[in-house]
Amino acid sequence: MRIYAIAVFLFLYVPIGIIVLFSFNAGRHASELRGLSIQWYGKALSNPFVGDAFVTSLIVAFSVAILSSLMGTAAALALQRLKGTPRVLFDGLIYISVMIPGIVIGIATLVALVTVFDFLNPLLASIWPEGSKPPKLRMGYASVIAAHTLFTMSLVIILVRARIAGMDRALIEASMDLYATPWRTFYQVTLPQIYPAILAGFLLSFTFSFDDFIISFFVAGANTTLPIYIFSSIRRGITPEVNAIGTMVLAASLILLMTAQFLLRKRTRR
Amino acid sequence: MKVDNKPGRWLTAALLAPTSMWFVFMLIFPLIVILVFSFGERAAVGGYAAGFTLEQYANLPSRLKAFQNTMVIAPAGTLLSLLVAYPLAYYLALRVSRRFKLMLLVLVIVPFWTSLLVRTYAWIFILGGRGIPTLLEFIGIEGVRLINTPGAVLIGIVYGYLPLMVFPIFVSLEKLDKTLLEASSDLGSSPFKTFMQITLPLSMPGIATGCMLVFILLMGEFLIPAFLGGGKVFFIGNALVDLFLQSRNWPFGAAVSVTLVVIMLITVSLYMRMVMRSKTGRDESLM
Repeated sequence: MRIYAIAVFLFLYVPIGIIVLFSFNAGRHASELRGLSIQWYGKALSNPFVGDAFVTSLIVAFSVAILSSLMGTAAALALQRLKGTPRVLFDGLIYISVMIPGIVIGIATLVALVTVFDFLNPLLASIWPEGSKPPKLRMGYASVIAAHTLFTMSLVIILVRARIAGMDRALIEASMDLYATPWRTFYQVTLPQIYPAILAGFLLSFTFSFDDFIISFFVAGANTTLPIYIFSSIRRGITPEVNAIGTMVLAASLILLMTAQFLLRKRTRR
Repeated sequence: MKVDNKPGRWLTAALLAPTSMWFVFMLIFPLIVILVFSFGERAAVGGYAAGFTLEQYANLPSRLKAFQNTMVIAPAGTLLSLLVAYPLAYYLALRVSRRFKLMLLVLVIVPFWTSLLVRTYAWIFILGGRGIPTLLEFIGIEGVRLINTPGAVLIGIVYGYLPLMVFPIFVSLEKLDKTLLEASSDLGSSPFKTFMQITLPLSMPGIATGCMLVFILLMGEFLIPAFLGGGKVFFIGNALVDLFLQSRNWPFGAAVSVTLVVIMLITVSLYMRMVMRSKTGRDESLM
């Protein structure tokens, strides 16, 4: 049994190890290991396309994480007071937006937004004052952020709601009985208790958005995120440089996940 | 806390407003547009021309291969993931001391939250010409081709979705009342009988949740067949990318997506009925 578990852990981690190992390849060919060097990291970091893609991914992931944790927390707090049909409706929508495959979200968002833009752009052009160039709506940052946020905000709702369910309600009642205003009760009693869940939601949203390929592939327009860059590089052929970028992407998610884990532990111990 | 006072109600509405807006504009509206498109006609330049025709749905058999591959490999991959995941979940939940349990579980889940793209492409290395086939040549087995076969796609699937299968099964096994296992063995049941009569039935909710999560994600999978199937083993997802981004046949692509969603809805409702019948609560955890 223990041997089996070790085998499965090897199965999970050896491929990751191989990517990391080959990213330090000194040779030019991806599949032949010829000594170790960090030259490919230098190459990757000085490649302007990688830099641009990295910045795009950061902007998107950060916006997604902020939007989702704010909206998701607000919704989770409100949902506990909602009853009847609206509640069932919301639960259903949350469930659907978590379960629906990314590819469907990507396609549906692409088709819907292109349709709306095709309708709005001539309209905008016609009401725009003569002489100046009318704005042209197109796919870009906003569409990727909006599409990612659909999934991640529902994720935050689920996480925060689970935390609220496990919360000690007596504390809130005590606070109210002691004449604290609702805002003060929220700030001093509720928020400290649900804070770890919000933070975990923030970090998971960031990681999801940073690693997502398929949704961005459809709705990013002319913007290239890091996963899109990696995908198109792999299509052109695997190079040690791709391995170096891949290793950095893996390391980024790992650091975030470890941070989340560490913060959550620290919070619960107090 | 008073709920039905008026300012309270306004606050609830205000807190839910952004989320509702997102659901309407980013989920419901796009799905409706896709549905409308699927009944439309293809415009001369690609794209969409309004209309009401069932032509697109009648054309579905032209992508039959993608549907067949998906409907065979996705369930097979789900089953294979279950077979690999169950013993591990069992080991983690019942055989590991409390101290290491959480750490090992985190180790299983972490890969799931790192880039599937990067992790899948590692297998291009391992299964590709200079990977395992070269190693096999050393011990005298030649001419083995692994990449671009259904087997390669299956390996990629198990690798990618194992954490998602282990987690719910672990949760249901962890909740299991251990005294039942003791009682069973005290009453003279063999370990096998105890497993078949107590452990397995009680872990059914976890198995059902895990299988549904993995199966639904697999139905829309694109990356794994794109990397490890090499154009030979392709899924509905690959057909969709082709239809929307390369051949730009949007109405037909819309019909394919609607069909995909319908198949998924049927699966989910079947699952729900199964869960209701076994009268067990669902796992609220989706991490």
